[in-house]
Amino acid sequence: MEGRYARQRLLWGDDRQRLIGDSELLVAGVGGLGATVCQIMARAGVGRLHLYDDGVVALEDLHRQSLYGECDLGRKKVVVARERLQAINSTVEVVIHEERIGCGFAVPGGVRLVADCLDNYEGRFALWDALPDGCRFVHGGVQGDRGQVLTLVKGESQPLSEVYAGSVQPAGAIEVSPYSVFVIAGLMCGELCRVIGGAPKLLDRFLVVDLVDLSLSFLDV
Amino acid sequence: MVFLQIYGTLRMMLGGRESVELPCYEGDTVGSLLERFQAEERIAVTHKLIDDRRMLHTGTIILLNRRNILHLDKLETPVRDGDVLALFPPGAGG
Repeated sequence: MEGRYARQRLLWGDDRQRLIGDSELLVAGVGGLGATVCQIMARAGVGRLHLYDDGVVALEDLHRQSLYGECDLGRKKVVVARERLQAINSTVEVVIHEERIGCGFAVPGGVRLVADCLDNYEGRFALWDALPDGCRFVHGGVQGDRGQVLTLVKGESQPLSEVYAGSVQPAGAIEVSPYSVFVIAGLMCGELCRVIGGAPKLLDRFLVVDLVDLSLSFLDV
Repeated sequence: MVFLQIYGTLRMMLGGRESVELPCYEGDTVGSLLERFQAEERIAVTHKLIDDRRMLHTGTIILLNRRNILHLDKLETPVRDGDVLALFPPGAGG
């Protein structure tokens, strides 16, 4: 297993690798973004993952949710996710929580890093409200061929609910391409690794990704 | 001048422009600036942002100097020379 991280250690060094291995990450939602975020972070060697989702695998998930296949239809996502992640990297501790994040949510003690991969504003705002001061929060959102990534720090940044004030969930299913989910999830993981290394690039700054005109833009908040 | 930053589908409507500089006059507000912008561009932009009762739609956030205008004075928020106004329709899914 010594060679597992050889190629990325060449990129970011042993100190960064140790920091990743010592880190504990809460992944909120293991659907489109979350399935790929927790997979990449497990491959990267994160120490402990907390996975939150109350959903089961459905046929309409398979075009974009990278941890699941036809054999998983009807199974609980967090259970399948843990199986796949442990097959990918057995050194990562995976703690599953079959729970929908909403009002009254409580963050497990010790968690200081969160990946917001949720698909609804109510859950996002409840998650934000539950964070302890100083907790680092990497938010992702995706719709159609577009999406965004943003890092906030609880107690220092604007609250997520203020940034997104007035935003209401679109009615019905949200349109989304399979590739946009992977792009945004990959960008979230890049930012998560930078946050762990103490050098976020998207702190209080949206990276807005448009795969229609192939543009990347920033928006400060 | 007010610097108007545009994202997402709105950018497509405006020919792919990322930002526009708009002249700013005494008494201008976010609402008056957007309405003048629409009239000058001859592109129906504000119906994407504001309904017939001048209420903000929920699919696009409007930030003035990093602050959501819902936490300021909404469409009546005054704008001044050098302000940065952003129209951003975030991706809602996950």
